[in-house]
Amino acid sequence: MNPAAQGSAVGARSASGPAPLLQTQALTLRAAGRLLVDALDWRVHAGERWCVIGRNGAGKSLVLRALAGLGVPERAGEVLWQGRPQQHWPAIAAAATRALMPQQAQDRFALTVERTLALSQVVVSCDSRTAGELMSALDIGALAARRADQLSGGERQRVALAQCAMQGAALMLLDEPVSFQDPAHQQLVGRWLAEAATGERAWVASAHDPSWIGRVATHVLALFGDGRWQAGPVDEILSAQVLERTYGCAWRSVEGAWIPA
Amino acid sequence: MAARGNNRPMSRHDPALARIALLASATALVAALALGLGSGGWDWSLIVSLRAPRVAAAAGVGSLLALAGLALQVLLRNPLADPYVLGHSTGASVGALTALLLGAQLWIGAAAGALVAGLALLWLARPALAAADDASPRLILLGAMLAAVFGAIATLMLALVPDQRLRGAIFWMVGDLSGADASLWNLAGAGLFAAWLWSRGRSVDRLMLGADAAWLLGEPVRRLRLELLVFASLAVGLAVATCGSIGFVGLVVAQGWRLAGVLRTRELAVLSLLSGASLLMAADLLARIVVAPLELPVGAVMALIGAPCFIWFLARGVK
Repeated sequence: MNPAAQGSAVGARSASGPAPLLQTQALTLRAAGRLLVDALDWRVHAGERWCVIGRNGAGKSLVLRALAGLGVPERAGEVLWQGRPQQHWPAIAAAATRALMPQQAQDRFALTVERTLALSQVVVSCDSRTAGELMSALDIGALAARRADQLSGGERQRVALAQCAMQGAALMLLDEPVSFQDPAHQQLVGRWLAEAATGERAWVASAHDPSWIGRVATHVLALFGDGRWQAGPVDEILSAQVLERTYGCAWRSVEGAWIPA
Repeated sequence: MAARGNNRPMSRHDPALARIALLASATALVAALALGLGSGGWDWSLIVSLRAPRVAAAAGVGSLLALAGLALQVLLRNPLADPYVLGHSTGASVGALTALLLGAQLWIGAAAGALVAGLALLWLARPALAAADDASPRLILLGAMLAAVFGAIATLMLALVPDQRLRGAIFWMVGDLSGADASLWNLAGAGLFAAWLWSRGRSVDRLMLGADAAWLLGEPVRRLRLELLVFASLAVGLAVATCGSIGFVGLVVAQGWRLAGVLRTRELAVLSLLSGASLLMAADLLARIVVAPLELPVGAVMALIGAPCFIWFLARGVK
């Protein structure tokens, strides 16, 4: 059924342990008649940091949308949050359970950064102090009173990340959190993300740079674009073989950095 | 700016409160002028029996239209949305004319017409609204086409109106307050609308982050959108039943406050209520006194003020 799917050790915990934050059962996604993800069986546990890789159009955003519970063109299979099918979650409880940072903000009307963060608050424990901490951690503190639509792409992206974190959800789904970041802010966001999945939390982010992923993630889900996929610990997936299969070009590793040949 | 403590939108030191107080005084002043000025001068019985109902109608209709504009702008996520531009007003006119010809209640026809126009637009704009990309030009074009269709139907229906009532019907089509009676329904409806927007302020603000974003935050997006549409349509229907279709109030008021830096729905609702009322009272005052004793249809006066504003917004590149 899915020759690429390897029964990896990921998520192979004892049945008596806590339910995984996120679990998919035979999740199948198509777009415009093209099979993008075939029978994805996958678990994300608390404390894990997952990156989703794949070429453009391989279905990374679609997977994240489906995981968040948003509408996708064609889908089959189940997504469970904390062991419970996502469609059984009441809207407000769901908001406290998973958060999604979309690739592009859809807001049309300008709100200030501060207000945008305040509107994203769902759980009581995330208050204006949390917002302040997030803003300084993500280097957007100076933008608090600015209108969100007048920021640069990178600044807007860090605001979106802070918005997502403001929700206080255990599971964060991040669609390209660093695509617009300059090298310094890529490091900053990477360090923040590495600490954001402690305790009961976990995140899944789409990203492209294997070197960055190697520093930040604990696990990787590779989408090959034809329905096949491979999931596992970062050391296992970030290999010349899997990267070539993912991107269609050869890769070599130089002192911990991945370079396309 | 309205960027302050999250849970205390109107604290004692908030500039919003000062802004609202100032505007309330200005509205009272405009109301006093509208009551006191005009042909016939300062005559108490004239003021009570003739001018007061008309001024009250102008205030109520102005508020209703401004609030409808605010609601439609959020609903369609387009700052250029307005009941007149998008065909709600012409739809209401068709409904009202139908009611007139059938001998039914005018306001029911007008509200039904506005609702049909609103639903038609929402249905046609579904793909544009669902898409993440900017749907503004497409939506405005759709609305303009709907307005053209309803306008044509209204014109055709006017051909059926008996000759002796034609002049009144045409005045009513372009917006006319001279025949408006003292319905406090408009004022009550506007107050209810503003109160509802206030109570849903946070949810509506979240809707401005995008429909998906609001849904992810746990908002009942479909219901909220439906409520916005129903409230806006009822408001337009009520306004059109009172004095025909008057344009641009909805567009200019909410958009103007946004440009002035007011970004919160709660504050926008109160400000729209007040400034919509004073704007239409002022326009009606002009319509009464510029060529007195003759009267101009207030809709034409409003369009003369509003259309250049619209052009100015577009020229400034308001998204």
